[in-house]
Amino acid sequence: MIDSIKKSSLEFFNANGLPSKKLENWKFTSSKNFKNFNKSSSKAEKQKIESDELSIVFVNGVLDKNSLENFKFSDLLEVKNLDELNKKELLYCSENFLKESMFNLGISEFENGSYISFKRNSVIEEVINIKNYFFENGNNERVSSFNIFHINEGSEISIIEEDIKENHSIFNLKLNKFICENSTIFKYGKSFNDHSQTYSLSYNYYQIKKDVVLSVDSIITSSFFNKEFIEVDLNNSGSDAKINILNLGKEEQHVDNNILINHNAEHCTSFQHVRNVLDNKSTAVFNGKVIVAEGAQQTDSNQSNKNLLLSLESNAFSNPQLEIYADDVSCGHGSTTGALDENSIFYLRARGIDYSSAQKILIKAFAKEVIDDFSLSSLQDISEIALDSWIDG
Amino acid sequence: MIKIKNLEASIDDKTILKGIDMEIPAGEVHVIMGRNGSGKSTLANVIAGNEAYEVDSGSIAMNDTDITEMSIENRALEGIFLCFQYPVAIPGVGMAYFLRSALNAHRKHQGKDEMDALEFLNNAKAILSELGLDDSFLKRSINDGFSGGEKKKSEILQLLTINPKLAVLDETDSGLDVDALRTVAKGVNKFKNENNSVLIITHYQRLLNYIKPDVVHLMIDGKIVESGDMSLVEKVEKDGYSWLEK
Repeated sequence: MIDSIKKSSLEFFNANGLPSKKLENWKFTSSKNFKNFNKSSSKAEKQKIESDELSIVFVNGVLDKNSLENFKFSDLLEVKNLDELNKKELLYCSENFLKESMFNLGISEFENGSYISFKRNSVIEEVINIKNYFFENGNNERVSSFNIFHINEGSEISIIEEDIKENHSIFNLKLNKFICENSTIFKYGKSFNDHSQTYSLSYNYYQIKKDVVLSVDSIITSSFFNKEFIEVDLNNSGSDAKINILNLGKEEQHVDNNILINHNAEHCTSFQHVRNVLDNKSTAVFNGKVIVAEGAQQTDSNQSNKNLLLSLESNAFSNPQLEIYADDVSCGHGSTTGALDENSIFYLRARGIDYSSAQKILIKAFAKEVIDDFSLSSLQDISEIALDSWIDG
Repeated sequence: MIKIKNLEASIDDKTILKGIDMEIPAGEVHVIMGRNGSGKSTLANVIAGNEAYEVDSGSIAMNDTDITEMSIENRALEGIFLCFQYPVAIPGVGMAYFLRSALNAHRKHQGKDEMDALEFLNNAKAILSELGLDDSFLKRSINDGFSGGEKKKSEILQLLTINPKLAVLDETDSGLDVDALRTVAKGVNKFKNENNSVLIITHYQRLLNYIKPDVVHLMIDGKIVESGDMSLVEKVEKDGYSWLEK
């Protein structure tokens, strides 16, 4: 089954090529450098990684099964190779992703993808660390991966993901699917602090059932190129999805969030909060959309994108959208882009705080409002340190 | 304390202050009254160093140090404190963090050690109590969601925490109910002593029922045209400003 999917995905990519700026999600993002990367030839099995009892390790996008031997909760897991899955619906990802040539390229190239399922009623209070190690045989390799995480009914799972790389130029094309069954709580956090010349393009699809609490927290600092697609399908009633993202850009870095939330059922809530702080020549793109389907009554949705520009040469492109086909809903969205408020700087300086410190206080205040909304307290701690370091750096 | 000589200042090429001369010795409270647009708030901002304004001529000296070209923060560290007419809200910056940062900037400038968190909190709580504010005030973001009265009390909290040499109150009484006005006046009276000075900018007599000024200045079109005692306030209340125009 996988082989036929891979074949048709490759055909799609070959027919469509790299995404052009004519596509809405790529209007402000250049894909021209993608062609400088070739499919990775490195083999994950060659690498030996030591892991702790709360970590699950991936090497070049492939699950390191050795790490499961140390994993404290391995008895709560069911792990399979994606080749072993016999239900096509488990492999299904969003129709929108299937129209993306880069997603299709990732599908055509990934090897040894894993299906990691948390058994019913797995309640884990500790935060699980997913550590993605990347090793290359050389520069300019494209590492494609596809993994599925299945949170079964009644489970409560928290994950923080981080990438660990050597300082090479690679293209990390990462596809993930998350399935949250009824009455689950899934907290997913991401902290990337990457100083290498890495291109990171990820497609994360969340399939949400009934009475689910989903939170996605993310802080990206110093990422050369990071484009992320997030799609959340709220398919059954009573679920709540919160997405809080903070991106900090410097030099010529590019951060890019494309979020689609589909309210397909009634009585669901969603919240998107994306903030970008941009210095030097960095750029940020926000494409956010909420679609409320006919019949998805009592939907409560809010979408906010705020961009703080610290230099004249930084740029933010913001495109918040709402499509509503139900009549009893509460939906709001907003976007702001601007520099630090001179009146606020004057106020702080008038109390004896020097100009540079006043700027730092205001940058931190702007960024911290997202961090304060993170569901994972340990990610809040990590993020505050990363933020201080970024501001002082 | 502060000496202002022949001060002319403009904003966006429009001259607002047209030759201000004023001296406030230590231990005195001065008041400036004038119509809207006469330049009162401009004077307050120029004293504080607001860079939106251009000083075209003249000088400002604090204790014989010329501060005319000094940065905003260095003026503050030299002892100038502006109570803002419209204090800005800064979401995300906690009052406690802000107050302690400001206080420690002053202490560092004075060659003192930073105040530790416990001592700071005890001091701040004592001031809050006098202003009728709950301790939770310190956990809120600067002026964020504050009522008009809370904003002005926040300014007085900052004044009493930093304890500067010169307090410039730019229409601090505007928009206050009687109780809040009394609280603000109580704070200012607690602040003032023989070693510091107060400059009050106001439209009304009511704050001056609680804070007794030593000198009253009347300002018309960017100039101080009359200085005197409290009787000037009563005359303005009764007759307005038209008698000052030639």
